[in-house]
Amino acid sequence: MTTRRVPPTIISSSLLGCLVLFANPLHAAGTATGDMEAYLASGELSLTSDIPEVLTTTRLRQPKSRVPGTTTIIEGELIRALGIMNLVEVFRLVPGMTVAAVGSNNPVTSYHGTVHYEQRRMQVLVDGRTSYRPNLADVDWNAMPVPLELIERIEVSRGPNAAAYGINAFLATINIITRSPEDTGGTEVRAVSGSRGYLRTFGSTGNASGDYNWRLAYEKRKSDGFDRQLDRSVEAPFHDGIDMNTFTYDSLLALDSRHSLEFRGGVVDGINEEDQIKSGEFGAQADPDITVDDYYLQVRFNDSVSSGHFYHLQASYQNYNRRQRWPICLPPSEILPGAPDEPLFCATLNNDIEESRLELEAQDTLIFNQNLRLISGVGYREDQYESETFFDGRGRNYLARVFGNLEYSPTRWLTLNAGGNWESTTTTQENYFSPRVAANFIMARNHTLRFVYSEAVRTPDAFEQEPDWSYRPTDVTPDLYSGLDGQQFPIADFLDPATSTYGAWLQEERIQSREISYYGQYHLDSALLSLEVRYFNDQLRDMISGIIGLEDWTIDNNVALDQEGFEVEATLDYPGTRLRLSYGYLDQEGTYTGTRDIPADRQQYAIDLLGRLSVRHSGSFAWIQELPFDLYSSAAFYFADEFRNGQFERTDFRLARRVDQPRYSYELAFTVQHYLNDHPLLSPDNIIKERNQFFVEAGVRF
Amino acid sequence: MTFSHHRVSKAKGIGRRVRPVFASMVFWLLAALPALAQANVMMENTLFLAGTGNPAVDQRVSDLLEKALSGTDATDNRPELTVLPFREDQARKAPSVPVVALGPEAVTRVLQESPESPILALLVNEGFYSALNAPSERISALFYDPPLARQALLGKTILPHATRIAVLARPENALRYDNQLAPLRDAGLEAQVFVVSSDDRLIPTLVRALGYGDFLLALPDDRIYNPRTIKHILLTAYRRSRIVIGPRQAYVKAGALASTYTPLTTLVREAAGYIRTHREKGAFPPAAYPLGYAIEVNRQVARSLNILLGDDQALEQQLQDNIRQLQEVAP
Repeated sequence: MTTRRVPPTIISSSLLGCLVLFANPLHAAGTATGDMEAYLASGELSLTSDIPEVLTTTRLRQPKSRVPGTTTIIEGELIRALGIMNLVEVFRLVPGMTVAAVGSNNPVTSYHGTVHYEQRRMQVLVDGRTSYRPNLADVDWNAMPVPLELIERIEVSRGPNAAAYGINAFLATINIITRSPEDTGGTEVRAVSGSRGYLRTFGSTGNASGDYNWRLAYEKRKSDGFDRQLDRSVEAPFHDGIDMNTFTYDSLLALDSRHSLEFRGGVVDGINEEDQIKSGEFGAQADPDITVDDYYLQVRFNDSVSSGHFYHLQASYQNYNRRQRWPICLPPSEILPGAPDEPLFCATLNNDIEESRLELEAQDTLIFNQNLRLISGVGYREDQYESETFFDGRGRNYLARVFGNLEYSPTRWLTLNAGGNWESTTTTQENYFSPRVAANFIMARNHTLRFVYSEAVRTPDAFEQEPDWSYRPTDVTPDLYSGLDGQQFPIADFLDPATSTYGAWLQEERIQSREISYYGQYHLDSALLSLEVRYFNDQLRDMISGIIGLEDWTIDNNVALDQEGFEVEATLDYPGTRLRLSYGYLDQEGTYTGTRDIPADRQQYAIDLLGRLSVRHSGSFAWIQELPFDLYSSAAFYFADEFRNGQFERTDFRLARRVDQPRYSYELAFTVQHYLNDHPLLSPDNIIKERNQFFVEAGVRF
Repeated sequence: MTFSHHRVSKAKGIGRRVRPVFASMVFWLLAALPALAQANVMMENTLFLAGTGNPAVDQRVSDLLEKALSGTDATDNRPELTVLPFREDQARKAPSVPVVALGPEAVTRVLQESPESPILALLVNEGFYSALNAPSERISALFYDPPLARQALLGKTILPHATRIAVLARPENALRYDNQLAPLRDAGLEAQVFVVSSDDRLIPTLVRALGYGDFLLALPDDRIYNPRTIKHILLTAYRRSRIVIGPRQAYVKAGALASTYTPLTTLVREAAGYIRTHREKGAFPPAAYPLGYAIEVNRQVARSLNILLGDDQALEQQLQDNIRQLQEVAP
């Protein structure tokens, strides 16, 4: 007979566990203490899969030291502390990102620039849903169903990320994570009002006390937009506001300790004002405002098989419905060769489009041990569109993908990541594989040096690739032209055949990216300094540049870009003080590589178009300070040097008083945005008359 | 999960002997044979132990006590005192013999069965002890839960830039916590107690608390921190990049970032000091938190939250410095 000796440490631990069991006075009274300690000791509680780490870059939850690439994390608290008024403006805090507005004040943002219109080179996710428009693949930031109060954090994975998300994760990936309904029980109400007709009201209520946690939220966003525009060099009123209403419902049902079900749904409706002068076509007689009517549904099933194995199944359906109708009057000669100039031809045109996206995804995480972790999954997407104007009917595109990433740490100081995404799309009838490999050298005391190589593609969207753009006038007057009612006027007929590329088959854009980055943290007395520096060197090939317009359609795979630069993001936390700095330097060099023989000035124009949102220097500096008497202040400086019309420079100041009573909290705040120059943002039409813009806000939570 | 477990206590280096299981049987056999015990033990060299009811635990404490009370002469390892299980009849016959009571249940039992016996309560909370309202020279205690100020300073040690502490409390505890937290102002820490008036107000209150505090100081209250809520609380805090300190060592294993605690060997060694004092002066020192403590840190959680932690020694040193500074400004 042999006796197995129990190691002393185990005895000691178990004894301590037993001791703890009896340690609390409440135990005698039959409270939960014993259960608590037994529960803690059982190991049933595993947070491994849930602690929020950087999760955008590979889809694995990874600490920054192990992430294969630079990722900026903007916390919701920072957004609110800085008094940021619009979601898109958050991205000014991200090194290398620029924010501007095109057309009738339609916000646009990008990492490392490129084009300003139809900006579609970033993957944008909201709670795991792909959130750029399916077929006119740009991002409608005005209609994003994300109230600022509900943002938990925004992760921006800087650099190509197609290895995790596939097509469109070309320059960067934005992942907006809203607060879990588990975290938002109670009621919150907030109102903000300010210059240029800004009004935002928010209310949410929810329950987070049982197995079924839910939240219902409403937000209204209104703004008059820019003050003025230029109409033939003369300032004129600018009809470019928004009036959006967002309803969202988020819920999480814990089925048991292993399984949970998430359901999310939302509706956005409202008006995006479009200006007759700026955006009206064919002799618009009124402002061609866009009516927004979007909704989405999302369901996700989570299964934590064990603390080392978990998966989810997710399905989402999003519908984007835009109605844009406007009356026109123009000389018939402009649309019918040989027709007279009089009487004017009047009718109603529309840019109506309904798009939808069905997305299915299964994702599995296997943690073999703390040094070897694998994430893998499959995805399927179906993009539909219906538009008489843009596609002459309905159409569909399909996409299927398989993705995976293996994280391996052979030693304490080295983590290797290898990941890739294979996908097949009907947009180009091709298959693509986008890989990424990275080595993270983790030096002592939280210093990490990363070397990353990645490739990505962007396929043209449905409208770029297969447009069938035409207008069918309705409500035609006078009766003289009634024969034209419903007649199709293809845009191809108006384009210059010498320059038009309308209908030409486009190839995918490709990027090869190399990154060397450093992430470190330092304790400086009572302060903590976090520093992240990224050097990048990218080759972008077959970039699609040119114009998509009623008079010009010149897009083509015609520009190669070589870009390199560096970016810095640093935060310094002192007691009561937070300083944050971001800076991006971008050196972008374009070359015309198109096969069409066009004049040098048009070649240069194609190159220039691809740099409209690219700026050499950009960044931000923020200072958040706790003050006596429950006061908080913040100051932020944002700059981009420079867009076409000059530098963007703005300083924001905010003073808030937040009072936390034992049973409720309230906040009052006053914000000033001060523009340091009169340069309109990107376009000469984006005129703000007053350099100082004022906002007041009040909120209560209980 | 991996854990860092660092000993700061003076008990460092004391080996742990593995006692065979039969030792525990012998201990309880002794309890069953009072006549034999009485015959062999001089009451003046006796100490009673009112146990938890768990034989293994009680035996372990008994062993440690005897060891801590052993003579310092290398040639004489006999204990100064013999530890006997508490029995009502024996205690009543020898009312001057101190009783070490493990946990509130044992304390209550001793008070009922032998009201005259001097009691040293271990594994009890300050709240329980205060409610006894007994003179400390007769009933003293070494508290089990870590002192609130030390826990707060541990948070400050991990987050040197922290200035605000959020605390959740039930209405009946709010004022007490408020008072205990007040001296921390001298260490540059403002604390705010958020009242959880009912179970369904826990998360809304937590959300407000996390909006205020640089970290959540979790205090031992099982109505707030329990199996049903702990994961929810921890994840809500971590999703908002707020760390959780405390309330006890076991919570660190479950996912709290860190806590101080008193290792059993340290606790017993300090208890031996109380007993010696009682023998010499006829009274216990005042009830207090044990001086020795250790820090338990969940380094995986720290890594996940990008919390920069020094090594164990640095952490220990910094916490000691912070405690010393607080004692200097708020003695």
